[in-house]
Amino acid sequence: MSGDRLPADFDLQSQAFPGDAKPGRSAREDAGLQKPSGANAAWLGRPACPEEYRRLRLCLDSLSDQEILEGYRMLRDEKVPRAEGWYYPNVRILHGTAFEREKDRREQHLWNETHGENEVVRWYREAREKPCAWWIENHLIARHALTSCMSCGVCSSLCPAAEFYDYNPRAIMEIVQEKDEQTLVELLRSDTIWYCYQCASCKAKCPRQNSPFGMLSSLRQLSQLKGYHVHSIRGRQQVAARHLWGGNLWNRACSLYFRNPNPEAHRDFGPRHEKLYKSPEIAFRQVGASPDMPGSLSARKVHPETLQEVRRLWHAGGALFLWQMIDEAAARGAVEDGLTIDEYHDKAKTEG
Amino acid sequence: MRDNAKQADRRGRGNLWGRHIKSIPEGGYYLTLSCIMGSFFPGTESMIPRVYDLLGVRWGTNPDARSGWTCCTGIAYHGDVMPIEGTLLTVARLWSIAQASGLPVITPVCVTSFGVHLECRDLYEKEPGLKEKIDRLLMDACGRTFEIPKHIIHVSDVFYRYRDVLRNRHFRYTLTEKSTGRPLRVVDHVGCHYSKIFPVQHAIGGAEDCRVLADPVRAWGGEEVDYPERRGCCGMGFRQCMITPNRGATIARTLKKIRSMAPGRPDLIVTNCPGCTTFLDKGQWTIHEVAGESPFIPVLNYVELAGLLLGWDPYETVGIQFHTVPVEPLLEKIGIPFDRSRPRLEGRPYGVGQAPAGPLTAG
Repeated sequence: MSGDRLPADFDLQSQAFPGDAKPGRSAREDAGLQKPSGANAAWLGRPACPEEYRRLRLCLDSLSDQEILEGYRMLRDEKVPRAEGWYYPNVRILHGTAFEREKDRREQHLWNETHGENEVVRWYREAREKPCAWWIENHLIARHALTSCMSCGVCSSLCPAAEFYDYNPRAIMEIVQEKDEQTLVELLRSDTIWYCYQCASCKAKCPRQNSPFGMLSSLRQLSQLKGYHVHSIRGRQQVAARHLWGGNLWNRACSLYFRNPNPEAHRDFGPRHEKLYKSPEIAFRQVGASPDMPGSLSARKVHPETLQEVRRLWHAGGALFLWQMIDEAAARGAVEDGLTIDEYHDKAKTEG
Repeated sequence: MRDNAKQADRRGRGNLWGRHIKSIPEGGYYLTLSCIMGSFFPGTESMIPRVYDLLGVRWGTNPDARSGWTCCTGIAYHGDVMPIEGTLLTVARLWSIAQASGLPVITPVCVTSFGVHLECRDLYEKEPGLKEKIDRLLMDACGRTFEIPKHIIHVSDVFYRYRDVLRNRHFRYTLTEKSTGRPLRVVDHVGCHYSKIFPVQHAIGGAEDCRVLADPVRAWGGEEVDYPERRGCCGMGFRQCMITPNRGATIARTLKKIRSMAPGRPDLIVTNCPGCTTFLDKGQWTIHEVAGESPFIPVLNYVELAGLLLGWDPYETVGIQFHTVPVEPLLEKIGIPFDRSRPRLEGRPYGVGQAPAGPLTAG
């Protein structure tokens, strides 16, 4: 490497920039990556039936915040030595569990209490109480997404979502321009706003340089802040999105964790994918990635200090407030449906 | 008269092209990696540093694990669980780290990240006072400072810049059929967030005539094949592909793309965006199962393609085993040797007849 302004002791190999030699690695050692750890607490399970769900919920409810947070941290940071460093075998067990979701809710609640409210959160809290038309005129993304629309319909003509769903970005831009409060509320409560693919095909072709996909993104934020999203099937899915992407960010500093596309979740990816994921650690190590290990490349376990730093950013940027709004709406929905929060999550994730 | 018209046409094309020229610095690249690429095609991330070293360019990322790169939050932002301020702060932190490393050129490998970095910069340019606000929040949250970077370029832009150097000095193979010398027929898919968010300023050739993959394909010996849905979305759609009940929306788009390119008899689909690579590749199995169509066109991103033409090990370095559509038939055409004893090759072609373990809607 010719990075002459980098520190002299920067060792590519130990920083997991592979490609050349892979020192000290043996097939036997990689095979060891698949051995289960000692973590076998009941609340780590992935329930398959309502009875198991209820038992799990009772168990989680019986644990104090400290027990949950400490238990999670100890499991997450339990490590086994390897020739090149460490492997963290419990990350794969923890990810995406009801235990991790419960831990996140409690940890983020404590975080909000401890760190207080900053100017971004205050702005969002106030915006939540104002009319939707105010949001369109004031939210950073909404303001720059619309200059002057002449309703030419180019956005709808090449929109992939309009081809598949009963969806018309041109009509949405008209509603946004008319700013009729009741119509806007109806829009935010509907499935319609959740159909957009966020591909930006509309932005590229708009003769007035509007950004319908940006406006949709902004409207979705407003829908969640006001709790309108739970009135539509696709809006309710946001509780799953919050724990999938939000959980990955909060716990692993990535939006997508390398174990998310497991064959159980992606049977549509076919038998070769299923075969590869029987031992993803070995497959990832083979090409130089760092599955649940320290490093700089794919699938690495992020250093706790880095994680702590970006968590502060997401608190400052209003993410925790948004997640809290989604959680509160989900909790209300679960009570109305007579479900535990875990059942509600799974229902929202698979409904539609 | 005809000559005048031709000259005018050439001038017009020149002027149009001139709008889409972008400056690609020769080095100083700060590499930010990709959640999607790392989850589906980890070999790609491992190869980029090797290619940069081969080219002798100055590049790097922060070697300190405690202040390393993180996700840009792009998927969470477009998946609507991250407010824009959270994304602005995350990206500002990455810029801060890059600038402290003395590497001023931000080079995301992910197309979503590329779009997110550019959107952030665009907001700073449009919104008075935003920079000061994010400065304040970033300093309060983690004590860092940042400047708005002059250059944000995608890794594919770097490959575009060095496409002839790679071919002339480093490649062992070309995109031609070994037995006949025929240029291989290649369709490209550049990725919406590369070419559509800022088509004039940041996409080589713009949204409609994007050259970022097509020109390297030509330079590397292949034949560029046009198709009607070339600029259409692959269907990834963030919440469409990742929330299971919405996945029909994704595969409907993928099917339209694949059907559109199939009559051109492509030997290869070359891609830019990790999400598109995933769904154009793995979606072909779904299409096979759901629609009964079996196009099975190999899909490679531009880094994997370069790695194979460089003669790097298809399995140990490039990681072709991560692909659902087998790449081995393409290797045979080009004449790239591979280990035929690999157990992963069992069941070729493509495991046809092997039913998935459960219904397609599960998960």
